[in-house]
Amino acid sequence: MFKNEELEINLGPQHPSTHGVLRVKLRLDGETVRHCYPVIGYLHRGVEKICENKTFFQGQVWTDRMDYVAAVSNNLGWAEAIEKLMGISVPRRAKYIRTLLTELNRISSHLLWLGTHAMDIGAMTVFLYAFREREEILDVFESFCGARLTTTAFRIGGLRDDVPPGFEAKVQAFLDRFLPCIDEYEDLLTENRIWKKRTIGVAPISAEECLAMGVTGPVLRAAGVPYDIRKAFPYAAYDEMQFEVPTRMEADTYARYLVRLEEMRQSHRIVQQCLDGMPEGAVMAKLPKILKSEVAEVYHPIEAPKGELGYYLVGEKGGLNPYRFHVRGPSFVNLQALPKMTEGKLLADVIAAIGTLDVVLGEVDR
Amino acid sequence: MSILSTLFPYDIYKGLKLTGRYFGRNFFSANRKKVRANLKHITVEYPEVPVHLAPRFRGRLQMLRDEQGEIKCICCLACERICPTQVITIEKDKKEGRKLPFPKRYTFEMERCIFCEFCVEACAYDSIILNHQFELAAYNREDFSHGTEGVFQNMFKPTPVGTFSVSADDDGNAPHY
Amino acid sequence: MQMTLTQTLVMALIQIVAVLAFIFVVVPMLTFAERKVIGYVQVRLGATRIAGGRKGLTGAVNKIMWWMGHFPVISFFRGLPTFMADGIKLVTKEDIMPAKADKFVFWLAPILCMVPAFAVFAAITFYPGVLGVFPTWVPIVGGLPVDGYITDINVGLLYILGLASVGVYGIVLGAWASNSKYPLLGGLRSAAQVISYEVPLTLSLLAPVILTGSLNFKTMSVELATGMSPWAILPLFIGFFAYITCGFAETNRVPFDLAEAESELVSGFHTEYTGMKFGWFFLSEYTNMIVVSALASAFFLGGHYFLPFGFQQFVPASWGWFAQPHLIFFLLKVFFLLFVFLWVRATLPRYRYDQLMSVGWKYFIPLTLVNLFIAGLVRFMA
Repeated sequence: MFKNEELEINLGPQHPSTHGVLRVKLRLDGETVRHCYPVIGYLHRGVEKICENKTFFQGQVWTDRMDYVAAVSNNLGWAEAIEKLMGISVPRRAKYIRTLLTELNRISSHLLWLGTHAMDIGAMTVFLYAFREREEILDVFESFCGARLTTTAFRIGGLRDDVPPGFEAKVQAFLDRFLPCIDEYEDLLTENRIWKKRTIGVAPISAEECLAMGVTGPVLRAAGVPYDIRKAFPYAAYDEMQFEVPTRMEADTYARYLVRLEEMRQSHRIVQQCLDGMPEGAVMAKLPKILKSEVAEVYHPIEAPKGELGYYLVGEKGGLNPYRFHVRGPSFVNLQALPKMTEGKLLADVIAAIGTLDVVLGEVDR
Repeated sequence: MSILSTLFPYDIYKGLKLTGRYFGRNFFSANRKKVRANLKHITVEYPEVPVHLAPRFRGRLQMLRDEQGEIKCICCLACERICPTQVITIEKDKKEGRKLPFPKRYTFEMERCIFCEFCVEACAYDSIILNHQFELAAYNREDFSHGTEGVFQNMFKPTPVGTFSVSADDDGNAPHY
Repeated sequence: MQMTLTQTLVMALIQIVAVLAFIFVVVPMLTFAERKVIGYVQVRLGATRIAGGRKGLTGAVNKIMWWMGHFPVISFFRGLPTFMADGIKLVTKEDIMPAKADKFVFWLAPILCMVPAFAVFAAITFYPGVLGVFPTWVPIVGGLPVDGYITDINVGLLYILGLASVGVYGIVLGAWASNSKYPLLGGLRSAAQVISYEVPLTLSLLAPVILTGSLNFKTMSVELATGMSPWAILPLFIGFFAYITCGFAETNRVPFDLAEAESELVSGFHTEYTGMKFGWFFLSEYTNMIVVSALASAFFLGGHYFLPFGFQQFVPASWGWFAQPHLIFFLLKVFFLLFVFLWVRATLPRYRYDQLMSVGWKYFIPLTLVNLFIAGLVRFMA
């Protein structure tokens, strides 16, 4: 008697909550999602191919523009991958400063995630509170390297400059007032009954499914797998740092929210340790005048705020640029989990799932 | 217990208390007076209130002169070579009374510049900097490129965008909004 | 004094114009207040200037507003001219209709939404008595008293509830007539939402009805404030929270703004509406907010009297001015509740569609039924 028609609906690429230019094709039965198909590629620039045609030194500016909310992490991965390729060892002070900036970047990336995720679910004030703190981190970046977003923070072999005068005080001032700010977000969200209803049990994905699809980062840790590259394969100065890897067992949106909040606290701890134990010395290694690679192949993973960010580089004899360059972007891989998380759930859960995956389309499309 | 907590929405009260406190602070304190750091509003009323930039801020490319007023650039092409987006092109020239080469034309296409400061880093003669100019919008594409003859001089000082392709005045300071 | 037909009509006309003027002043102010309140909550400044830079009239206005920014409280009213700009924009904007829209229904929907929202004001008592007397030199109505209400019908509350539920047809029809997917989803959500929240809303209003034994707005608001037994405070208190929450749902405000959930449905049922047709939806939403606030303050917050929840009966006559009903008390309560609407919008996340329904049916209906029982008990004891 009744025709059971499914409603096909386009979420994006111009939609308030797809965090950029993600397009999700949904087939709805009423409000229930029957089929979910993410369509990507609206921001494709061919970063990998471009970098193969640029010198090792120049390539870094392109990594800024992949995950543009975590540019420092991307810079770190690029610089360290090439250092690995060429066998350059970085001075200890440079490692510490790199760790410090990367952890600040993790905080700023998580703050942006928190703000936009809460905004997607309807709590609009958290967004501005999170941006208030993020602004200070961006000020720190600006004072260190002159730019707020596309930082180009590091150089192969170390840093371009030592930290500017007043840098430590600035970071310390931020650290001193950051922890109460997390409590403020928690006041607004953690115990809020609506937030709990919207996130607990929403967009679940089990550890097995995560591992099967290569999902990493907070999404994996919220499923109970304590896999963090900072611990598993330490890079920069992380082997000297004391921190914990927060995990939860629930594997839902609320667990990911708690994991990320706890990660911000741990990042705060790491930054404090970097600041306290900052060694003296040079910030740049002795480098040859022109960087030339050997025949070699490296894969260097780092723990970006979104998950495992791996740089795969192949060098040729005397090459000024990488012969082959590939990025294992965490956003791209994590986005695979979206259909699994949302099929059979409600439309509003798709929004929550996109928010909780924390994808940045600059990195997905590259 | 759970019925009690359902009936008395303490969680919602907590959120309302926080936002209400912020509202009260901003409502009852003068807007431009400094309140406690994290209760202060964060709006910067930008054109009226200037923005403070860090000393290392990377703005628009600017050429420098030495004490004699001579262009410092000696056309070594280091900046041209290092630039990841190839926005710099230099034409060499010779000039009387100057041993080193002299840039006849130093083209900098600002619309493609990504402000990475690699050129400044590559320059061994400190002849270029990225200045603190960040209001770099213009109405015409032509307004961005200022390497054409006649407007060459404008590369030596911070110039408002949109006027530098028109004005060839060396000292004229266009009003800064 | 018996009024002639002409006098009655003219008097009604004057009152209607006054109420409409009230709405058309309060609603734009409310949109402005929404920007500022949410701005202040979010440690921003909200609207502070109007477009036009530093030259001419707009420049002068901007200069004044810049100067206002030096003072607390006064600086809240910076950017006040933006509401005029809003109005001008809504009126002059191009009116776009989707190609395959149902043209008649597309037109009808905003009207269906707006008319009931305005018509409700006919039964709302702003003041339970005579506000003033026209001077005798005024033609036709000279010497006649002006009442604080337009009509004093015996089933005022029934009229209000009946009309208020018509408004949802506007939303549903507008959503359907847009011939677009996002509005359709928004309209369906809205229909489900209004149906499930109409019940607890009415049930929570039934408690005052039982307590007073009347459906007349004026009688109810006066009696609820003064003539209750002290036990009536309890059902009024519970009823207030149930009513105001259901009121949020009825007016499609956060945390129940599913019909226009910005992050999910782009803009919900009015995605395809532009210009003044959108303006009507907008106007009706804010007018509904005023109606909900007015009802809540009249029935639960003591209306035109000083103290809420029937506490007014403990106010001795020696308090003088505070013991008397005043229009200002009523308006202050309405404005406070409107502020609460904005405050809550700045704080809370949004419910999901199915959760909203379950909250309505499983939580608010039992709560209001229990409240109704308590009210009946109080009435029985008195």
